[in-house]
Amino acid sequence: MFLRLVADSFGRRPRRKLLTGAALALGMAVVTAAFSVSLDVGDRLAHEFRALGANLLVTPQADSLPLEIGGVDYRPVNSGAYLPEQDLGKIKTIFWHNNIVGFAPVMEVPAEVSTASSSAAPVKTTLLGTWAHHSVVLPDSRTYATGMDQTNSWWHVDGRWFRDDAPEAIVGKSFAARTIVKPGDTLHINSSDRSIALTVTGILSAAGPEDDAIVAPLQIAQQLANKPGQYRRLYVSALTKPEDDFARRNPTTMNAADLERWSCSPYASSIAYEIKQVLPGVDAHVIRRVAEGEGSILTRVRMLLWLASVAALLAAVLAVGASSAAAVIERRSEIGLMKAIGAGSGTIGFLLAAEQLLLAFVGGGVGYGLGIVLARFLGEKIFGVAPEPSVLVFIVILALAACVTLLGSAIPLHRASRYEPAPILRGE
Amino acid sequence: MPDRKMFWRLVRRLFAAQRGRLLVILLALGASAALTAALLNLQVDARDRLTKEFRVFGANIIVAPRDTKSSSAGVATLDESVVEKVRQSLPQRASADSYLYLVASVLSANFSEAVNAVIAGKRTEGINRSSWRSAIVTPRDSKNLCLVGVKAAEQLHLQPTDHVTLKNDKREETCLSEIDDPHGDAQDSQIVVNLDAAQRLASLPRKVSLIQVSVPGTPREIREYIAVLAQSIPDADVHGLRQFTEAEAKIYTRVSGLLTATTALVLALTGLCVMAAMTNVAMERKNDVGLMKAIGGATRRVLRLFLAEAALLGLAGGIVGAAAGLLLSIWLGKTVFGVAARPRLIVYPVSVALTILVAIVSSYPLRRLANISPASVFRGEA
Repeated sequence: MFLRLVADSFGRRPRRKLLTGAALALGMAVVTAAFSVSLDVGDRLAHEFRALGANLLVTPQADSLPLEIGGVDYRPVNSGAYLPEQDLGKIKTIFWHNNIVGFAPVMEVPAEVSTASSSAAPVKTTLLGTWAHHSVVLPDSRTYATGMDQTNSWWHVDGRWFRDDAPEAIVGKSFAARTIVKPGDTLHINSSDRSIALTVTGILSAAGPEDDAIVAPLQIAQQLANKPGQYRRLYVSALTKPEDDFARRNPTTMNAADLERWSCSPYASSIAYEIKQVLPGVDAHVIRRVAEGEGSILTRVRMLLWLASVAALLAAVLAVGASSAAAVIERRSEIGLMKAIGAGSGTIGFLLAAEQLLLAFVGGGVGYGLGIVLARFLGEKIFGVAPEPSVLVFIVILALAACVTLLGSAIPLHRASRYEPAPILRGE
Repeated sequence: MPDRKMFWRLVRRLFAAQRGRLLVILLALGASAALTAALLNLQVDARDRLTKEFRVFGANIIVAPRDTKSSSAGVATLDESVVEKVRQSLPQRASADSYLYLVASVLSANFSEAVNAVIAGKRTEGINRSSWRSAIVTPRDSKNLCLVGVKAAEQLHLQPTDHVTLKNDKREETCLSEIDDPHGDAQDSQIVVNLDAAQRLASLPRKVSLIQVSVPGTPREIREYIAVLAQSIPDADVHGLRQFTEAEAKIYTRVSGLLTATTALVLALTGLCVMAAMTNVAMERKNDVGLMKAIGGATRRVLRLFLAEAALLGLAGGIVGAAAGLLLSIWLGKTVFGVAARPRLIVYPVSVALTILVAIVSSYPLRRLANISPASVFRGEA
């Protein structure tokens, strides 16, 4: 009988039920979309922040003082320490290897450049050896492709990047303007007594001192400097968690439990610490300007978006609650009739609650589906990537829909339980 | 006009008759007005705040000599008159640091060997915003301090307030050391001194190597500023520090897109909420409408009556709610950015207007009242 009453109520007034259900579905769709996007937004923004480039710098431990101005080291080749290139694969074996987005070793060689076309005197400049897009062999013999195109994504190359295994190079735009070099030209590079010919494949605009340099494969720089298999500095770009006070503590003075908690959080400093553990003889620093700026902005934006989602949630609760209250109120005469023929307040409340719950689950389910579509649309519009649908959100949405409809119906139901059947049936 | 008088009298009576129900709608409208106002204000404020927040990255514009004749450190320079031009063009809350770089040998009292290090002479123009903590710290002239990077201090075995001698050719400068916080980049191996001292040391009076400018603003404002600056200083190369400007532009668009989307969603939801409440009203009003029609009220006039009621409710809800929302956004701004969001006056009328609009649009369920036939209402049907 109970089920029949519920089925009857849906069957007899489908349009009214559809309206309430639609309001519920719409409200829940918005909450789903807001939550899906908010859950995803931290990761998305962290990726966006990687456009800032490297946030970790690895240098030799026993090094002389770098004479570095604006990213270019002006030390002579034979001064200072170098690091072995073959160890680099180990970086992808640390606990946070999935957080490492890219890395690129760098070595500078002072060079004298003469172009084939002009007979003018050779021009002095710096040759920056690095990886453009290099396949690193990892210790478990997989390969991982990384290089400057990932760590320095703001470098624009007009033409194409050099191939890492070819005698090619890209030249900075000021240098190109000064020497009238264009892609396809050949440069003759002299450093000390070694010389090498490189084909220009592109013009680099970096908006930095690299604009006045030549960027070439690392192995070319190694040949010129006679330092095979070595590099001077390593830039690492990693996805990190914004640092808090705990992150800034010194790991060497922590107790075991704290150290575990510290190294199990992807703080920039704990990733630096792990890199130091796997690469012998290095110093890994957090580039504070990038890491701290990123951290403070990320924290704020995340909080802002969560607040906005909470506001959306509140609005949805209001909307759904109001519409389910309306659904109960309009059935006053029905309630009166049921009471008149002997139904207790409990039974009526139970019946109406069951109807509302059914509506909540159907509406919530449909709303979730709609919300996922909306979230995909928003995600693609804003980040170019759709957020993954999450089961957690689905469960939360259903529970929320049920809670809100019951809460919204509770007040009119409470009132209904006090109705006297007679005046209602009389139409008063 | 007696007609109009009657109209308003009816509206008054409508309000008086159903205080309870109207209170619910008023509450819904007020709450939605509050949410709308809070989000709108936060959105306007957050964009502004975000552009300031980006300045924790430090400088975003570089003014450098156009013609770098040689790549060796500190040869191509700018004249200080350029610094003056930059200083004059600085917008509010912006700052500019001029640097002169040179390589000098450094001697310290407790280390026998001289070490070659990059010396950066620095002078700050404009307001020192406490953005990036130690990049701003400039050695004070009076005490002749030099700010030694951590790596340089380690190499030189320097302690705070040690005497340091900087040597270039025959020229010498001495200063008291102050150890800088670690930066993780080139600054760690540099020694920052007063610009005048560096100019004396390099024997390049009134010359600087480059100027770093930190300008807050939206990516577009910054692009425009760069264009203006480049025009006023034709003999220097003015460019955005692309590493930061590009990332900033990207993040700014994303975040402001997200905020717009959420605000739009919340507005849609509040409309839904009011619509649900209005459905209630429509149902309860059946008898009234039946009666009005029976004694000769035209459908249009009856509907106008209810629309006027909805608009008045929207106005009342909007006025109270938007004020509450602005207060809410001040508090929210404090939580998110640590600084209370400035209430924008424009937000208030906009959210009141939006609320009225939402109230009228959501009176759509009242349309059903038009189809009511008086007879069926009096028979107790429908």
